[in-house]
Amino acid sequence: MFDFKKLFEKRTLTRALAALLLALILCISACDGQGTGMESTAADTTAPAEQITVADTTQEETEPSSEQTTQEEAESDSETETETEQSSEEQTTEPEATIDLSNIPAYSGSEYVTLNDGMPYFSASELVTESYETYGELDALGRCTAVIACCGKDLMPTTDRGSISSVKPTGWVQAQYSIVNGGNLYNRCHLIGWQLTGEDANERNLITGTRYFNEAMIPFENMIADYIKETNNHVMYRVTPVFEGDNLVASGAVMEAWSVEDEGIAFCIYMYNVQPGIVIDYATGESYLEADGGPTTPGEETTQPDDGLLHLVLNTSSKRVHKPDCSGVAQMSEKNKQEFTGTQEELDALLAQGYKLCGTCH
Amino acid sequence: MNLIICIDDAGGMMFNRRRQSQDRVLRARLLEITKGAKLWVTPYTARQFEDGAPLCVSDRPWADAAAGDYYFAEDGEIPTECAEKVYLYRWNRLYPSDRKFTVDLSALGFVQKNSEDFAGYSHECITEEIYMKE
Repeated sequence: MFDFKKLFEKRTLTRALAALLLALILCISACDGQGTGMESTAADTTAPAEQITVADTTQEETEPSSEQTTQEEAESDSETETETEQSSEEQTTEPEATIDLSNIPAYSGSEYVTLNDGMPYFSASELVTESYETYGELDALGRCTAVIACCGKDLMPTTDRGSISSVKPTGWVQAQYSIVNGGNLYNRCHLIGWQLTGEDANERNLITGTRYFNEAMIPFENMIADYIKETNNHVMYRVTPVFEGDNLVASGAVMEAWSVEDEGIAFCIYMYNVQPGIVIDYATGESYLEADGGPTTPGEETTQPDDGLLHLVLNTSSKRVHKPDCSGVAQMSEKNKQEFTGTQEELDALLAQGYKLCGTCH
Repeated sequence: MNLIICIDDAGGMMFNRRRQSQDRVLRARLLEITKGAKLWVTPYTARQFEDGAPLCVSDRPWADAAAGDYYFAEDGEIPTECAEKVYLYRWNRLYPSDRKFTVDLSALGFVQKNSEDFAGYSHECITEEIYMKE
């Protein structure tokens, strides 16, 4: 059977690759003082576009089948778009957007910094009004790459949220700290938020992100989601995780959005994947309390088995959540003891119901 | 002048020179509330209303609005201290913001007279709060 979904992903991937090439051109022209880009004010286009660079990789692009090629040509919306797609298909290497972290100021208390005067780097050919979503292939280290979507009402979820605990993103070394909201340092962070495209356990859309990072992304997703619901317009949305070298945990992510039918939504930011008070080894995902000045002893702060789930003990009487090795568990009455194995989201639900983290072990 | 302002959970109004959010049910409510009076807006705010909406569009609506008129503030100045009444609409959502309305209304002598929740078109619950000077 013909796989339309695969074709769609392939076609949109091609668009994304073409756009990245155009981004390079945009960078060069901006450096030369020939600013083009978004349809906006002159001030919006004179951008420090050199903050994003485009580099070649050695990954070869899979050739589309002849059936797919025919379908792609038939689906092309415009002459320009067709030319762009054909051009990108001639490429033998896949361009990959990389962010020069040296141009990003160090985290200093704000969850994000604005890039390019708040204007995204989308090329004109990327601004389409047909919904699609493309999740970049994992790289050689198994890390997520850029995801891009033309978000519309038709992509929004219509069913309940599913489990994502089966995905173990790179750098997933869970740890619990009392200073972190909810206890767990890491969340499986959607690159494109669930409320926009309804993706559950998609390994190409989930990275290891701090609780702080995850919570900071939500307002941006809210703004896009509510705009789409209200206007039925489309928002081009791209989230690019930024890994330094071979690190397994992203340093942050570039989030770009642009409403296609009007100028209602526009932003371009770099979101820091940090957790105040916690030091993260981005190479591995290990962490320790900043106040402690060094890594924790295994089992001291990190007590979670490496299955991606939380293993805790609940006191159903006092409504306290304990780690299994907490002294409070030994003293707990058996009738009040209940084992908990679940996701961060499930723990959050318990906390919302009135459970609190034990002050001794968390 | 009666001041109208929309804010999110953090008091935010705008982000990157754009309103945080909008809702057609709220717009209809504003037109109903201001029926028979003048509703002043900037050209930017006017664009969220349908063509033909009874608006007074001005580059300086905060200066043009007279006593009894209404001024829907988004991108323009907000002379709260000059307002007779403040209609504060809460989206009950959190959005990014770089322009906020953080005025302590009670410090300016305003007292909350009413609070009412209503369902929007794209917002589950919008809260209308009305403040008047004693």
